[in-house]
Amino acid sequence: MKNPVYTFEKLKFASFEFTCCEGCQLQLANREASLAEFFSLLDVRTFREISSEKHDDYDVAFVEGSISRSDEIERLLAIRRQAKTLVAFGTCACFGGVNSLKNRYPVEECIAEVYDGLPVESLPVRKISDIVKVDFSIPGCPVAKKEVEWIVVNLVTGSLATLPKYPVCVECKEQLNTCLFDLGEICLGPITRAGCDAVCTTGKTPCLGCRGPADDINFPAFLELVEKRGLSRRDLKEKLGFYNAFEAYPCP
Amino acid sequence: MIYKVISKPEFRRFIDALVKANNSFGPRLADRTADGKPVYRFMPVSSVDEIDFDYTATASSAKHFFLPFSEELSRFRFHGSDWEQHSAYEADPVVLIGLRACDISALNILDDVLLNGNYPSPYYLAKRKNTFVIGLDHLPLPDCFCKSLAHHTVSTGFNLFCSDIGEKYYLSINSSKAFTYLKEFQTEDPSYEDNCLLTERRKLISDSFKTEIDVTSLPSILDIEFDSPVWEKWGSKCLNCGTCAMVCPTCYCYSLEERFDIDLKGASRNRKLYSCNLVDFAVVAGGHNFRPKNGDRLKYRYYHQHRGFAENDNQQICVGCNRCGRACLADINPKDVINDLRMEKDSCMICVSQSPGRI
Amino acid sequence: MHDMRFTIPRQDMNREAFASSVPDFNRKSEIMKTDTGYKCRITNIISLTEQEKLFQLRIADPQERRIFRFKPGQFLMLELPGYGDVPISISSASSNHEFIELCIRKAGHVTSALFRTEPGMHVAIRGPFGSSFPMDEMTGHHVLLVAGGLGIAPLRAPLFWINEHRDRFRDVHLLYGAKEPSQLLFSYQFEEWKTISHIRLHTIVEHSGAEWKGSTGMITELFRDITIDAKNTYAIVCGPPVMFKFVCSHLDRFGIPMNRMFVSLERRMHCGMGKCCRCMVGSTFTCIDGPVFDYWSVMNLKEAI
Repeated sequence: MKNPVYTFEKLKFASFEFTCCEGCQLQLANREASLAEFFSLLDVRTFREISSEKHDDYDVAFVEGSISRSDEIERLLAIRRQAKTLVAFGTCACFGGVNSLKNRYPVEECIAEVYDGLPVESLPVRKISDIVKVDFSIPGCPVAKKEVEWIVVNLVTGSLATLPKYPVCVECKEQLNTCLFDLGEICLGPITRAGCDAVCTTGKTPCLGCRGPADDINFPAFLELVEKRGLSRRDLKEKLGFYNAFEAYPCP
Repeated sequence: MIYKVISKPEFRRFIDALVKANNSFGPRLADRTADGKPVYRFMPVSSVDEIDFDYTATASSAKHFFLPFSEELSRFRFHGSDWEQHSAYEADPVVLIGLRACDISALNILDDVLLNGNYPSPYYLAKRKNTFVIGLDHLPLPDCFCKSLAHHTVSTGFNLFCSDIGEKYYLSINSSKAFTYLKEFQTEDPSYEDNCLLTERRKLISDSFKTEIDVTSLPSILDIEFDSPVWEKWGSKCLNCGTCAMVCPTCYCYSLEERFDIDLKGASRNRKLYSCNLVDFAVVAGGHNFRPKNGDRLKYRYYHQHRGFAENDNQQICVGCNRCGRACLADINPKDVINDLRMEKDSCMICVSQSPGRI
Repeated sequence: MHDMRFTIPRQDMNREAFASSVPDFNRKSEIMKTDTGYKCRITNIISLTEQEKLFQLRIADPQERRIFRFKPGQFLMLELPGYGDVPISISSASSNHEFIELCIRKAGHVTSALFRTEPGMHVAIRGPFGSSFPMDEMTGHHVLLVAGGLGIAPLRAPLFWINEHRDRFRDVHLLYGAKEPSQLLFSYQFEEWKTISHIRLHTIVEHSGAEWKGSTGMITELFRDITIDAKNTYAIVCGPPVMFKFVCSHLDRFGIPMNRMFVSLERRMHCGMGKCCRCMVGSTFTCIDGPVFDYWSVMNLKEAI
């Protein structure tokens, strides 16, 4: 008997890249143990990194990267018109990412420095949701494949797909890690959204907030913490600005 | 309970034999803080030399050996219109060395909540029964306040408890297993002198506490102070990070989650320890949050810890280890919060005594 | 050196010692199924409105079916494997040992998936959990049942009970309000309730079209139509929190003692066993102390309404 609850259709899937390193898309082709199962959830219509085939009849579009050229805007708008579900995928797509560092300098200066004066078009970097409506965000630099798998499974089955609302500290404590603040570092773990299994802090590398702010964070209390521990405000600003993910929380 | 004494070298031989024959965990130095303080953690040990018997307290409790941070409760396999469910409780034997009196008290409290209620948890029971617990007494840290809650000594809930009486350990043997293993080693019945040394040791521990919290009638005070501004004051400091509940030896609140396997042929039902400080703990279907403010959530944690709920006869579940206080990045700790709550009322008492009634 | 003499043996898991205090709902020595559900076959699905369906379930294992007993007012956790579980109050007669009926509103992702199921498929139930309406205590009294919207679902179990023991009760009124006439659930049973059960049914809707002949307005307006012998009346109120706040204060004014008014509280229960603490209200568990509370207890609950 065909079971209407446990019979699923593959997602008509496409993946696109804009200004980025394509590392997040590469993650989709990683984690060999479940790779076959993962791709059997998808009917891949367009995905340059794994296939040369190209079709425009997709329903779900994963978009990696930020927007920094006018032709990218055109392409993105076209994707939005086709996709029923548009997923901003990776920190660049969700927040602008490392690319946003460019926005701190005059565009001409960047072009002169990087392209040695070649006539190249370059706009200030924007995140995907600045241009089009985003249905779902999967942050991370790079994204965690485990989380992507879970979200894709939920899209296929019609289950609830949500990101954790709590900060990295929860997952860091699950790993029994020593708090990096106690080791004298500034770590964005207390204000950054969990879901990464605290992979950086478990390796004793302070969190740089690639997954963006958790829900309802207490930013003033966090500033006070850095102050009280006698840690450098400059270091804090650098970390907050690294991925441009804390735009909404200006640090005085 | 049977009491014995054992020389320290012989004790080490005993632990070494136990550790070598079993999957064992004990306190080890994990890190040093920026200002040089040691940070201890329960870690796997394969010989007695790896165990730090003189450790102070671990940063995180031993709770997760019994109540893992996340745990698969049940598995489903689908076929056609039907499915099969399988739940597995089996746990492998573990030896846990060096738990403090407060840690063992915490396990006794978890026993109350998870085993003695109407719905005993087979998952917890399996782990509890298959864990060989060796307790070790210690001198309190300056911020320990377990004495205020009478958890600085413990008389049940362990296999073996060791009190340091100088050249020897005074052993409280609370299981036949422990007794059988110890038969292979040289132990003696405690002499009059040993008993005196134990009394002295206990007195020393009891007299060494520097932090005291007045917990008398706290349940009633918490009920009366439900709308106290104290909650908002401390709530405004709280980072909502859940660290306190994660390191706590008794915080057991959790959430349930069901996940499809990636091949869609099965699913799992999982439990994840959750904290009442986390923003969506009290969110209900439809998105309404019954505790939208930091202060509401912080208050709720203190309610659970210090007022207690029906599941364990309205007893406080805090054991006074102050792990939450040490771990809190915002410097929120039970001593200050509870004193603040009491002060609030105490300062009110001044106005009461000056009210017209006296004139 | 691995010395086997010191290897700790695997223990038997003896749950008996811990199962002694299992609540006795005629199940005696049976161990409560709290971790693994009772597998149920969906035998029928009746569409009540666009948003509400009545699911009829039958516990698959005959032995499990024999031991499953519940009391009016209790709820169970309904699980659709893979999607998760939801707390649902039981809508069928507690004397019906063959089928369980659950009235479900499509609200979240689990209930949406449940709406895609068909008869013949299987779901799991855990429970029953929670407190119940004190049907025995109500014997010899008038009964006033007040339902708003989906609140009729938990009231169906006491209604069946009253019907089966009609001679034990004096006057029974059912006041039932909904947003629109089309949203009055179980309208196909109204006649049966009125004629067979001798229940005085009063319905009211907030918004109505021309075809509606009944009353229009808020449910509290129905109180004008009835006379209550407050000293000898028990009330059961089910509906959204705002409703029972108004209704209960009305009943209070009539003079019904607060400990004779019963409400059913809704929270998002996760475990149903008073362990996960997700459904705590103040220091009370909705899942084990509730969902049925007398109004006096609810009034004293912090965060309740």
